[in-house]
Amino acid sequence: MLKKISLTVNGKLCSGEVESRTLLAHFLRDGLRLTGTHLGCVVGRCGACTVLWNGAPVKSCMVFAVQAAGDDIVTVEGLAQDKRLHPLQEAFWKNDAVECGYCTPGMLMSAYGLLDKRIKPTEKDIERAISGNLCRCTGYGNIVAAIKEAALNFTK
Amino acid sequence: MIMEFPITPPIGDRVKRKETLRFVTGTGHYVDDLLPPGTLHAAFVRSSCAHARIKGVAVEAARAMPGVHAVFTGEDIAHQVKPLRVGGSSLLRQIKLYPLAVDKVRYYGEPLAVVVADNRYLAEDAVEAVSVDYSPLPVVIDPEAAMEPGAPIVHEDVGSNIVYKYHFATDGIDKVFQDADVVVRERIRSHRIAACPIEPRAYLAHYNKEEDSLTMWSATANPHSLRGRIGDILDFPEGKIRVIAPDVGGSFGVKIQTYQEELLLPYLSRELGRPIKWCETRVEHMRNGRHGRDQIHTIEMALKKDGTMLGIKDKIIADMGSTYTVDHSIMAAALYMTGVYQIQNYAVDAFGISTNKTTHGSLRGIGKADASYVLERLVDIAARELKLDPIDIRMKNFIPPEAFPYRNATGALYDSGQYQLALKRTAAMAGYEQRRKEQAELRKRGIYRGIGVALVMEPTSSSRIHATGGYASCRLRIDPSGAVTVFSSMGEQGQGHETTIAQIVASQTGIPFDKITVIHGDTLPTPYGFGTGSSRSSVVLMPSAWVAGKLMRDKILGIAARQLGVAPEKLEIGDGKVFVRENHQQSIAVMEIVRTAYGAIHLLPENMEPGLEVTGYFVNPNIDYAPDAKGRMNTFSSYPYAAVIAVVDVDVETGMIKIVKYATVHDCGNMINPQIVDTQQQGSIMQGIGAALYEELRYDEDGQLLTSTFMDYRLPSVEEVPELALEHIVTPNPFTPLGAKGAGETGMLGPPPALCNAVEDALSPLGVKIRETPLTPDRILNLIEQAQATSHHA
Ligand code: FES
Ligand code: FES
Repeated sequence: MLKKISLTVNGKLCSGEVESRTLLAHFLRDGLRLTGTHLGCVVGRCGACTVLWNGAPVKSCMVFAVQAAGDDIVTVEGLAQDKRLHPLQEAFWKNDAVECGYCTPGMLMSAYGLLDKRIKPTEKDIERAISGNLCRCTGYGNIVAAIKEAALNFTK
Repeated sequence: MIMEFPITPPIGDRVKRKETLRFVTGTGHYVDDLLPPGTLHAAFVRSSCAHARIKGVAVEAARAMPGVHAVFTGEDIAHQVKPLRVGGSSLLRQIKLYPLAVDKVRYYGEPLAVVVADNRYLAEDAVEAVSVDYSPLPVVIDPEAAMEPGAPIVHEDVGSNIVYKYHFATDGIDKVFQDADVVVRERIRSHRIAACPIEPRAYLAHYNKEEDSLTMWSATANPHSLRGRIGDILDFPEGKIRVIAPDVGGSFGVKIQTYQEELLLPYLSRELGRPIKWCETRVEHMRNGRHGRDQIHTIEMALKKDGTMLGIKDKIIADMGSTYTVDHSIMAAALYMTGVYQIQNYAVDAFGISTNKTTHGSLRGIGKADASYVLERLVDIAARELKLDPIDIRMKNFIPPEAFPYRNATGALYDSGQYQLALKRTAAMAGYEQRRKEQAELRKRGIYRGIGVALVMEPTSSSRIHATGGYASCRLRIDPSGAVTVFSSMGEQGQGHETTIAQIVASQTGIPFDKITVIHGDTLPTPYGFGTGSSRSSVVLMPSAWVAGKLMRDKILGIAARQLGVAPEKLEIGDGKVFVRENHQQSIAVMEIVRTAYGAIHLLPENMEPGLEVTGYFVNPNIDYAPDAKGRMNTFSSYPYAAVIAVVDVDVETGMIKIVKYATVHDCGNMINPQIVDTQQQGSIMQGIGAALYEELRYDEDGQLLTSTFMDYRLPSVEEVPELALEHIVTPNPFTPLGAKGAGETGMLGPPPALCNAVEDALSPLGVKIRETPLTPDRILNLIEQAQATSHHA
């Protein structure tokens, strides 16, 4: 049975029809065609699908689309504003925190969830924030460096 | 042939990668992101037995389910397609393999039927409704048991599970062992692991009825080869097939081979007249993606008392799994068991064994990782036996820098190296002397600290007849508008080719880096070439870009020379102009040359073709395609290496290992973009740490894979990253125009031997000997317990 849901994605009101079992990740990707949110395991173990759900990072393969009805979602596509890269995106680029790019959106969203609290994070905070995000390419060092650098632009 | 390498910027610069912009904005396009109108989705029915006859597959219930368009079994397909064209050398016993299992399944998870439905949910529902009637057969999981007479046979038509045999021996090897002061012997196994790129395999096939043509999007590392294979299996003209590897989310070897599912999708699309997509689940990746490592070496080394290495004898048993198609893992180990040492006496017997496990195949460092692991463990064991420092025994036996190019016992030709220097530097970075002193102190305080040494060498850029042809190509075009495009024969899966190729072309032609676009992974516009594997892109592909750049440069200078009335040798390109070196005022705009090449061809030098389009080929140097009379040959062209010193603390209460420091000096020759090399090294090292400490594919006796999710197959996360000190030395490869040796795999080779050596060193007061990996806490605790039990007995 299909249900109609609407929710705010990257600041825009969106709606679509889903089954009760449709995962939020699949709704974003196949329904709204926001394919920046990636799927690496679909069981909550890789973090490639991380989005912000009402401000907190969540693995969107672990959420049913209907659960997010009426809520606020931010995906990687919502990071850059007016074609200007977000400081996190700039920092990932500058620090070479990306190889194949598959884990990148999830990493960015986990990091965004951390920095959005506007509290200067320690290295441990950064590690904890992305500990559920697997990257097979970069070995994480540059990702941590990038988040650290971006954090400087966030905290006053 | 010795080549010169005039390397000018931006080659060698830490340029920001072009491709990163689309990845940080989430606008890259991976296969699963594509959804042409009318796309249907496939899901596979997979064997729940490791070895069984298929008595029947009941598909009617599934066919009747909502949204289901078709269900095919192996039987349905077998008469419609040809068997897969399998690779492998002439030593490999060939098997017949179809996209779906027919008659019999040979491993747990083998695809035996496929459902096509409106969406992936419905396809998976219907898979549940297919019931398979099996008649179970005895299962063989252990390769040594599989060699025994009377073992269950995996492929009846081959008649034996020993599907590959190789023998090599230098003259007088037995005498060397008889005369030696000491012989150390050991049985060492490299355990089975999975590549696990974060993007699983993904395919989308679209047959266009009107045009009778086929487009295949595949997360492949080998688009041109895949195109030929699709043509083969479907008996469909290759010219009407286009394979596109869009953005690919990592490969590490696993996506370079062709898969059953991959070849089935084009068939399904042709049958149903709709685009068909399939994206692997993680569980399927663990069960069906090719596995790596899994060799048992029974190896012995003959030495003099002073530690001089005299000879090596090895017996290799390589578990090839079930539906094997390639054998290069075995040769890549067998030819390199003497590693970086001056050992000219060597013998090996290698066996490839078929078992009821998932098929073995390429995985970052295939075969070479097994070889360096086993050898570097053996060297440590010999050092301990002879009471020598692990650094000293290595220094004593390394091939010295002046001996390069060096031909090893099996005929491999090592291009260049400075092993002593690399290890010396690493020792300094790790504070080796100091740490040895501390170690003694710490032991008194009950802290088990260990220091592990290894020098791993990684042959790269293999070339084998018909498999990974020894060349690559780049076509370079400057459009009438001045736009510059390079079409690369090799796809990328994170290596940053769009950046490094542009750096090379910019350096050669003087065209600004930002103006150069690189197209790759699409068989329609790109020239032919083989896939990204064996770290070949910097060794073979990048030189082909260099050749293309040089051809273009010569052409531009030729046109300018005629117009300016000076010899081409006197000209330079820069700032959008060609100018006389001695007199910068005498110049012509590059755009003027472009206009001439396309529109004013009467002004071109005599015999010059119009237009600005050139193709550069580069042939992998020094490759032997057949052995000499003594069986010697060189199948890899370049030999990067890394020295490693790992310092660990082992908690004897919990079995946990903490890496205190991981220091490494890496030599991949000249680096086109040192930033890209560094990042790749870090990732490669972490993958090696995963292999050494956490990751293992385990089977039970019935052949069920016990580790098929990230829950039980643990990839390192950010929390496992140790303190890493990484440096490079540069010994250029004299045989390639860029002097590069390949950079992707060496990092991964270091941790298994270095960490095992470190842990064994840490636990040496307890008499622990490590013969199996990964070094999980429970394994460490077991080893400690065993060692204590034996010492009580003694
Ligand atoms: S896809 Fe959601 S955590 Fe892996
Ligand atoms: S960049 Fe490839 S998985 Fe992280």
